[in-house]
Amino acid sequence: MRTFSGREIFPFRALVSDWSTRALRWCVRHRWAGPERQCSRTNCGSGAVFPSGSRALNLYNTTRAMKIWTSEHVFNHPWETVTKAAMQKYPNPMNPSVFGVDVLDRNVDRQGRLHSKRLLSTEWGLPSIVRSIIGNTRTCTYIQEHSVVDPKEKTFELQSTNITFTNMVSVDERLVYRPHPEDPEKTMLTQEAIISVKGVSLSSYLEGLMASTISSNAGKGREAMEWVIRRLNTEIEELAITARGTLRTPMAAAVTEK
Amino acid sequence: MNSVGEGCTELKREYDQCFNRWFAEKFLKGDRSADPCSELFLKYHTCVQKAIKEKDIPVEGVEFMGPNREKADS
Repeated sequence: MRTFSGREIFPFRALVSDWSTRALRWCVRHRWAGPERQCSRTNCGSGAVFPSGSRALNLYNTTRAMKIWTSEHVFNHPWETVTKAAMQKYPNPMNPSVFGVDVLDRNVDRQGRLHSKRLLSTEWGLPSIVRSIIGNTRTCTYIQEHSVVDPKEKTFELQSTNITFTNMVSVDERLVYRPHPEDPEKTMLTQEAIISVKGVSLSSYLEGLMASTISSNAGKGREAMEWVIRRLNTEIEELAITARGTLRTPMAAAVTEK
Repeated sequence: MNSVGEGCTELKREYDQCFNRWFAEKFLKGDRSADPCSELFLKYHTCVQKAIKEKDIPVEGVEFMGPNREKADS
């Protein structure tokens, strides 16, 4: 399989280029690992030797088929704006499946970094065939997220994993927002996801489904961020207009009194 | 945005408003003062913990540390 040559963001090596994913917006680069590759989480990385041969046929093998996905995106807004928006990302019209967000814990560590643990309640938009396997009433998924904001280094890092359906699928995501290395008025988002699915007969189908869902959700996620940023800017403008209006009234009164 | 516990949504909104204001105006600007939202968080957190237990959500390794601050040694 040809490897996709391109700048490596993480230690993960780009394993397979998927030609269909080449048709992307120019500012986003996606890399896919093929479903036939199998490796455990600890040996997926640069220099890892992948077991040769076909995919595992044993249903209950501990080695799970995995798909690795990475992406990079640039926001034309400074890091502080993007971080504020990311903290208030939900609700937004692009991610209707997230119906609840709760803060479980929050604290500032000795280095002045803010740690937050959050619980996201989501409703998977699964196709009916998958729903009929899992069960119609059990499509509510919970995700636990740990995030760290470092205001000195200007990084906002989020890691999340599903805490339900773990016997079937595991989706670990990591997002890092930092100022663009070449333009401090812009922000770079690097995202990665590791998906592992147990079982064989549906694993490739489910993996492909999940990978394309993650990709499409990532696109929606970025649109969602732009939406939140616009909303925050509108609120600030409205506040400024109100403040100016409030100031003008006493000033006008003072002038007319003269 | 709703809370996982239906009865906690209002408490969550109050806490979120307080936190978002402190986060944007103080924390991100390098102000190291503690956030003024501890009481609100306590009320909200108690409600959420109850809802999580009731719904049997397998939350991992969260001990209530609350909005404690560990101030850096000056």
